[in-house]
Amino acid sequence: MAEAMNCFEAEGHLALASVGALEGADRSDLERHLATCHACRGLAARNADAVSLLFGALDPVAPPPRLRRNLMAQVYAEAVGGPGAVRRSRWRHFLDRIPASRALSIAGAGALAAAVALLVWENTGGRPAVAPHEVSYRVMGTTADPSASGTLTFDPAQSIAELTVRGLPQLPATATAAPHVYEVWLIPGAGAPMPAGFLTLQPSGGTWTAVLSADIRKYQTVAATIEPYGGSPGPTGTQVLSGQLGSR
Amino acid sequence: MTDDDITRLLSRSSPEGIEALYDRYGPLAYTVALRILSDQSAAEDVVQEAFLAVWRRGATYQAARGSLRAWLCTIVRNRAIDRLRGERGRPHVEAPTVIQEREVSPSDPWAAVEAELTGHEVRRALAGLPVEQRQTIELAYFGGYSQSEIAATMEVPLGTVKGRVRMAMEKLRVALTDPKESPWQKP
Repeated sequence: MAEAMNCFEAEGHLALASVGALEGADRSDLERHLATCHACRGLAARNADAVSLLFGALDPVAPPPRLRRNLMAQVYAEAVGGPGAVRRSRWRHFLDRIPASRALSIAGAGALAAAVALLVWENTGGRPAVAPHEVSYRVMGTTADPSASGTLTFDPAQSIAELTVRGLPQLPATATAAPHVYEVWLIPGAGAPMPAGFLTLQPSGGTWTAVLSADIRKYQTVAATIEPYGGSPGPTGTQVLSGQLGSR
Repeated sequence: MTDDDITRLLSRSSPEGIEALYDRYGPLAYTVALRILSDQSAAEDVVQEAFLAVWRRGATYQAARGSLRAWLCTIVRNRAIDRLRGERGRPHVEAPTVIQEREVSPSDPWAAVEAELTGHEVRRALAGLPVEQRQTIELAYFGGYSQSEIAATMEVPLGTVKGRVRMAMEKLRVALTDPKESPWQKP
């Protein structure tokens, strides 16, 4: 039986491994050593970090926008109906805003407003059980989806809000087109809607959620529209949810 | 959003985690793939495959094994190398391109990331490596060459390859992760 590798030997192998050049038996020996050596595992991590930084010296090339679009379309498709949705657990977490500049145009916003009932639940009897510092708002479906309703719970301390909605149907895919998505918008008093996230169906079914990383006190309205795969830079599709965000 | 925030999202298989990961490191990933493959279409495929693999695998990233950036770079690099090997049988043998210093313009899409993570240390570190060490690193990391293939390509003994990589990594590790202890006193 071959003698176990010592840390000096491992360091040499780690250097080769970090640039992907280690071969065969040497790789196996190193893996056995790493399994029992905390110090060398730390060195491996530092090597990996150092190597990854080498790319900082390359001339950066911006990827084409279609790459992000195609990627997110696939991800959201799987989140809605594929394996991603099955794996997905309930989440309360930060959500990065979707970057984009927008031109505001929510078709039929005025007509839809009549179908919107948004209540500030704080200091009302209908308020759900939330942490004392959180504020909850009620969001209702529009005429397009009158059975939909939900709650937007805002944590001012972290500028995070979670939108939970029930009653929205799944958006079907066809043989030639991927399913659309529910995109959430925060709309200021003046200016373009800000894309704030996507509603994702929870594994248990029936409930859709989105976490919005924004100070919603800066906005007057929250809304959701049906958009093509990967979302749109500005709302273009049917509005299905809306709610007024009262100033506090 | 920090890497920790992104990691939390990824561990929960959240689509927003992939979105945030792409927005932070997508340009880097694409640059890595393009550098290895020299083909825009292939680079796009590799980046998309890499991010989808992260999305589908969920919580496999372990912070103790390196940064999120390093983890993603490794995934992209390995997939690009696999593709390179698959398409060519072996990577095309050519003299490694010496990474050049460059100016970072304000519109540079990577400027912010690079400035935050590495600054000038990367270029200084690379410039400080002896040419043969830098070429060895480039053949391995960007060309996908194994230690024995490098030895054959550079016509040096295997032990020389190992020594060059070891010395190069030692210098890079110190210079890039702890510049204060850099062995190079001058840029």
